[in-house]
Amino acid sequence: MSEYITLKKNDPLFEKYIWGVCDKIGFTALPVTSLNIESPEEIATFEIVKTESIEKPSVFTIYLRLIKLKRFVLILVPYFYVAVKNDVDNRFFDPLSFWFSLLAMIFLFAGFNIRNDVNDFISGYDRVNINHNKPILKGWISAKRAAMVSSAFIFLAFIFSLPIMIRQAEEMRVLAVVGVLLLLGQLLSKNSYKNKRWGEIIFFILIGPGVVSGFQVALGSGIDTEVLAFGILWAWAIQFLVHLNNFGNLLTSAQAQIKNTMTRYGFDGAKKVISYWWCGFIILWVIYHYHYASVFWSWFTTIILVFWSLPTFIKVSQIQSPLGSDTRLIKKIGYKNFMLMVGLVILEFSWYFLTKNSWTL
Amino acid sequence: MNLKIYSPKDFPAYLPKLNLLYEDLFHGGKGFRSKLVQMMSLPISLPLDTQHLLCQTIEFIHNASLLHDDLIDNSQLRRGKPAAWAKYTPEYAVLAGDYLLARVMVNLAGFGNIKLVQFTSETISDLLEGEWLQDSIVGDFFIGLDQLDRVHNLKTASLFKWCLRAPFIAQENYDDQLHRTLDEMGTILGQLFQRSDDLLDYDIRNDEGKTILGDLKSGYLNSFGAFVSKNMNRAQIDQMVKSHNLDEFKKCFSSDPILGDKLFKAKVEEFDQINIKMIELYEHHLVQLDNQLKMPDLIKSLRPLTEVLYWRRKPKS
Repeated sequence: MSEYITLKKNDPLFEKYIWGVCDKIGFTALPVTSLNIESPEEIATFEIVKTESIEKPSVFTIYLRLIKLKRFVLILVPYFYVAVKNDVDNRFFDPLSFWFSLLAMIFLFAGFNIRNDVNDFISGYDRVNINHNKPILKGWISAKRAAMVSSAFIFLAFIFSLPIMIRQAEEMRVLAVVGVLLLLGQLLSKNSYKNKRWGEIIFFILIGPGVVSGFQVALGSGIDTEVLAFGILWAWAIQFLVHLNNFGNLLTSAQAQIKNTMTRYGFDGAKKVISYWWCGFIILWVIYHYHYASVFWSWFTTIILVFWSLPTFIKVSQIQSPLGSDTRLIKKIGYKNFMLMVGLVILEFSWYFLTKNSWTL
Repeated sequence: MNLKIYSPKDFPAYLPKLNLLYEDLFHGGKGFRSKLVQMMSLPISLPLDTQHLLCQTIEFIHNASLLHDDLIDNSQLRRGKPAAWAKYTPEYAVLAGDYLLARVMVNLAGFGNIKLVQFTSETISDLLEGEWLQDSIVGDFFIGLDQLDRVHNLKTASLFKWCLRAPFIAQENYDDQLHRTLDEMGTILGQLFQRSDDLLDYDIRNDEGKTILGDLKSGYLNSFGAFVSKNMNRAQIDQMVKSHNLDEFKKCFSSDPILGDKLFKAKVEEFDQINIKMIELYEHHLVQLDNQLKMPDLIKSLRPLTEVLYWRRKPKS
């Protein structure tokens, strides 16, 4: 028979158990229910299981799952974009720093992905919106160890960024802005950057303009409007994925009084926000291409994007319930939309790279 | 102790058909929820008239939900007799349900415990949210068990939570820890009751002769259905949806009837296992409750509830 223990937040054991430190040697405490999250009255029931009885995949798989390899497209595409743009413009001034910026960003991103899981677990967001695939929730790794790995990755990112800061002093200004925003985010967003409106805006600036500016400054090309425009476009697309994810968790988030754009607008309003948000993306795509791309690629990519987006709009308008399989399906369709857009960016910029045609066919 | 839940004297004599409808409705119900209220009330020596009020409240809410439920689900029968909406018109069924909920508020307001009024109102809200959500997922044969649990927590478990907590609130015992424990226990009892009820649809422990595959045929994938269909492919789910009887249903596991039956039984066992874990969690909360209340008689009477609600058998002890 399983052993359970119910603890209040002010119980010293709560803190230990939630971070994955069980006082019984050879055992792990897994949270099974959580009440009143994000409040001093939080209470959680843990199942005490033998650590060896937890079925774990290989360490490699655990870490791949933890760093969320699939999400690396979010930093690799901007890197590719900055590389091609500056190569075509003959502004590829500091390749070494640029390589270091990639290394730093990979570790920083991996570190933040892990930290995000730790925060979501500790705050209770993941414990109410149960995502069975998360390694911490499954007991594959303790929150404490995950936090340590995250800190190690972030430290490595800092080490790799040092040569850039020496070679490209302007990078320090970018990092200062990023640092201030991160600090603000910590103060404003209790659960995570995704789940508070100000948090969403900070996340938007960091993941879009922040990332591309960082890469371009490392390359020695400074910041220009074109790179910022792409940053906004990119952040808009990522925020679309965040909205879809939050839409899928609308019911449980609303019940747990978690605040984000989706819970603010409610089910019917959120459906409209998702459709309008993707419409907004297509408009931004057109504006960006009008200013910075060739006519052929503007038309070609926009037409594909619009046609490919139609099923998403239809499905979003048809969804009847905040529960059920449709929310999963919409996430899938939305992600496919996003990946198509990524494919189009890669195709278009590969063409520019290969032809070096000064942005015209 | 037998408390009379329904009395024509409690309702206006001048409303046509209302008392007839209620007499039909309240006749034949098991009154499990009011028994649970009594079970909680006796050890804490709640006055008899308060017990009566609470029992009446929970049965009124439950029966109001049945009146509305039958209409929404288009169910023709209730407790073996024509459903109220079919016998008295849908309009009367809706009004009769609304009237019961209104009487609940009138009676509780007269009792004068505002926290009890608030708690009861929240329970009714939860119940209605659950109904609403359940209606929104009809026809969804890809829904997950965790998602259905959320509906059942609102729709079914909310009343169980009320039964466990309301007697203490009526006694003005608002101890946070106690109410959290009771809340967790109510959630588990509600989930177990719902899952067991859903198993009846697949003729598992179906001693009361519930219609087989009734939920599935009306487009509703219940908790056991969601559990077995979790890793099924499209063809298997199509087969499941098309099933007219249990033998056809088992074909979604294998075209070989013997193997299909074997795999079906294995799924039932697997489903039972996850619910046994839930029963263990209930036992843990019972220990906590015992530490908080020091009422061994109450604990003794609460312990066999999982036997009754999930396994549908009389308690061993």
